[in-house]
Amino acid sequence: MNLWDQWKKGFAAWESTTAAYMEQVMANPAVLGPAGQMLTLAMKTKAATDKATAAWWAAMGLPTRRDQERSLHKLNQLESRLADLEEQLAEARAAQ
Amino acid sequence: MALAERVRTGPPKVGQTPADEVWRENKWRLLRYRPTVAKADRWRTPILLVPSLINRYYVLDLAPGRSFVEHLVAAGHDVFIIDWGTPTAEDRFLTFDDVCHRYLGRAVRKTAAFGPDGVCHVLGYCLGGTLATIYTAAEPAQVASLVALAAPIDFDHAGILATWTRSPGFDIDALIDGFGNVPWPLMQASFHMLKPTATLAKLVGLLDRAWDDEFLDGFLATERWGNDNVSFPGECYRRYIGDLYRDNALMRDTMRLGGKPARLGDIDCPTLAVTFGHDHIVPAAAATALLDRISSPDKAQLHLSGGHVGAVVSRKAAAGLWPQLSRWWAARDTDAARGLGDDAGDDVDAEPAAAPAATTAP
Repeated sequence: MNLWDQWKKGFAAWESTTAAYMEQVMANPAVLGPAGQMLTLAMKTKAATDKATAAWWAAMGLPTRRDQERSLHKLNQLESRLADLEEQLAEARAAQ
Repeated sequence: MALAERVRTGPPKVGQTPADEVWRENKWRLLRYRPTVAKADRWRTPILLVPSLINRYYVLDLAPGRSFVEHLVAAGHDVFIIDWGTPTAEDRFLTFDDVCHRYLGRAVRKTAAFGPDGVCHVLGYCLGGTLATIYTAAEPAQVASLVALAAPIDFDHAGILATWTRSPGFDIDALIDGFGNVPWPLMQASFHMLKPTATLAKLVGLLDRAWDDEFLDGFLATERWGNDNVSFPGECYRRYIGDLYRDNALMRDTMRLGGKPARLGDIDCPTLAVTFGHDHIVPAAAATALLDRISSPDKAQLHLSGGHVGAVVSRKAAAGLWPQLSRWWAARDTDAARGLGDDAGDDVDAEPAAAPAATTAP
């Protein structure tokens, strides 16, 4: 067995042990709790910042980013609804 | 060294099987692969492939010679696939019903319309399998058969991902309100954290076989796919996590789709659950629960070695999984084969669902 093969064997053993250990760490409530809280805090801060920015923007009578997203979504929904109706119409015609 | 040459040639080409777009709506589209077999020699019932929402569809059409789609087309199947596309900011409002009922439903109807019997086979991969199962439970009329390929159904057995999403510190509402769509880098980082040493192991494997062109073809194409992810529509994600990961609604029979109940017991079409021995994303126990609950008399589990992705795209899959799936569909090609047709049953090396769960291929 050459040096590379020996090293690979050692690496495989290390990887297997470390993966099992890390799986336990990643499922540990002592890790998950604080990690979740940090993510939640960051998200709530971002949402509050976005809301404040949008309020300032809207105060000037301008459509906010969220307004534009809602409008685009409504257009997409309208397109889908039209496709639904076309399908129903085609079905009704086929049944006649 | 072959690896050094690849730096000059750039990333491998993926999704090369010729296809035509037959439908487009919002960001998603339905593709139909061009047949290569004479019409008289083709199977009757079209097949709809439903990939995961967060990965690109071309995992099932990775590269010439490594493509599940190419294999099916060459075997005479009429193959369709959903490309979910890339959600943009306004898609944060897309609901689970929009995706699983309206979009998937339309894909099923459009695909079924291409067949003479008005039905189609449906294969869902990973989350796509969960969506396909929920849709089939709520709207079974046009689904000739269901293949759930590494699809999580029982989220009580969904491994560490379930542990994370059920952690009290994980505030799904704060995440959606903050991000809108759940960004793909966050989800990709989560998948890396499932097995943090996997990246190193992959690197060592790459160095070990850096001279092997055939290995590099597959490795680089898979890596390209693995790093080409899409974000998850926010409202859809909120319900996906809430109803499935947290409430395990499919197993509790509380899942609803488009205002209708989506009960696993209402699935009576031929069903195959495919699981993999080293799948750390969807453990076999999370996938086989489907077979315990459905009412179909024609149901089986196909359990193979390999991981969540490798077992679907590898050379081994080309010799094992793909032809077995093709034969399974072929045996259920006509209406007469629905339920328990005379020729159904011996077409795959699968175990009947009533058999003990441990059905492992070497």
